[in-house]
Amino acid sequence: MLETFNFRVIFEYLPLFWSCFLATLWLSAAGLLGALLVGTLACGLRISRFKLLAWAAGVYIESIRSTPLLVQLFFFYFGLPSIGIRMSEATTGILALTLNSGAYMAEIVRAGIQSISHGQVEAAVSSGLNYLQRMRHIILPQAIGVTLPPLLGQAIVLVKDSALLSLISLPELTRAGQIMTSERFMPAEGFLTSALFYLLIYYILKGLTHWSQKRLIYMQT
Amino acid sequence: MKRVKWLIALVMVVGFASMSVAGTLEEIAQRGELRVACQTQGPPFSFVDKNGKRAGSSIELCEMLAKDMGVKVTFLDFDWDGLIPALLSKKADILAADMTPTIKRAMKIGFTKPFMYTGSVVFVKANSPIKTVEDAQKAGLKAAVLLGSTGETDAKNSFPKAELKSYKGGGPLLIDAVLQGQADFGVNDSSAVIGQMANFPPNSLRVLPDLLSKLPLAFAMRYDSQDLLELVNLFFLNAGLDGRLEQNLNYWVNTLDWKKDH
Repeated sequence: MLETFNFRVIFEYLPLFWSCFLATLWLSAAGLLGALLVGTLACGLRISRFKLLAWAAGVYIESIRSTPLLVQLFFFYFGLPSIGIRMSEATTGILALTLNSGAYMAEIVRAGIQSISHGQVEAAVSSGLNYLQRMRHIILPQAIGVTLPPLLGQAIVLVKDSALLSLISLPELTRAGQIMTSERFMPAEGFLTSALFYLLIYYILKGLTHWSQKRLIYMQT
Repeated sequence: MKRVKWLIALVMVVGFASMSVAGTLEEIAQRGELRVACQTQGPPFSFVDKNGKRAGSSIELCEMLAKDMGVKVTFLDFDWDGLIPALLSKKADILAADMTPTIKRAMKIGFTKPFMYTGSVVFVKANSPIKTVEDAQKAGLKAAVLLGSTGETDAKNSFPKAELKSYKGGGPLLIDAVLQGQADFGVNDSSAVIGQMANFPPNSLRVLPDLLSKLPLAFAMRYDSQDLLELVNLFFLNAGLDGRLEQNLNYWVNTLDWKKDH
């Protein structure tokens, strides 16, 4: 297969792939940050004492988890303008990624918090700490060590999900492969190059996971 | 055991060597099926009508061709930029769409002689301040084009200062983008724009009068299907002579008669 590969054209298109790689990084980072915020908030609401808030957060999480990201993306992209909300493609894309990954992160954070043994909560309560102090000093620091690996796993999923943003004409890594296909009719070369860049992002995130594991290992009892 | 392996290898070599390379026409005749790569979102050439059936100028021409050939026709759907990869990967025998034979494309696939001529036009929202092509050449405007189309190339050449938004899919996406305000103007084939405008509210779009380019339209085949290429050229010649081609184009492309039934 590789003898028929046209490497010259790949080199010609490298500037395009590089700029699209940076765009994917930026979109994924923005989506990740948003997802963390939305996820933590949704988790907090989900485990709160107020039934209404818990129900509202539940509706959000369940509706996101039960529908495909592509459907959500098209819903925002084609549906919102028809009710008057007009956003740039980048904003729509980041919004879809944020809301989608946020729901999964809410579940991950919830599992992390609830995995802290009840003994810790009892000890904190009997030491006189209130809810906020308990969360900040005892529960969350321990939960982070448990939550970080699945969170980083979700981050990797988010980067791969960002490929769908090519379908709303965002210039990102998958779109770079599509452009090379439509201009030079070389889908194999184009999408292989895209895949290699995605692999690069994956290894960066994987390195981050290992590093954070090493640093936080003392947190795991 | 070694002798058995040697025997198997010999049989395989002989077997592969005796496999004849059949021409595409022979393959089609044996299969009894002509596989056509076409668009889903390309009225009036290839689309899905309001009854949910496939319809369009290219669809009808392929049905005529298959009937003349004595085989059945199978249509395979692709986005505009997926048509050529589908043909090259042998998923289809023939590409039937309103595709222009450009030299870049002809480096990979062979085109028939043109069956009609059109040109790129600029279209805007009806109340847009853009009245001429010069207006559209101002800096900072957004142009909606179709990924992998001649409109995309024409827009790059004619409007170098515009920000190009390439949509993946079909022409109606461009019209939608212009109407929603996500682009200030769109560039596509005149035949495609006129046909697709009919699906949107009347008088919502305005087409600028100047043609940016003159474009022939043709069907395409792989270069290893020279026999099929000759056949389709013959088909267009015959259909031109007996009036079927003119009838097809008058119904689908030159007028909006098709709107009544589809």
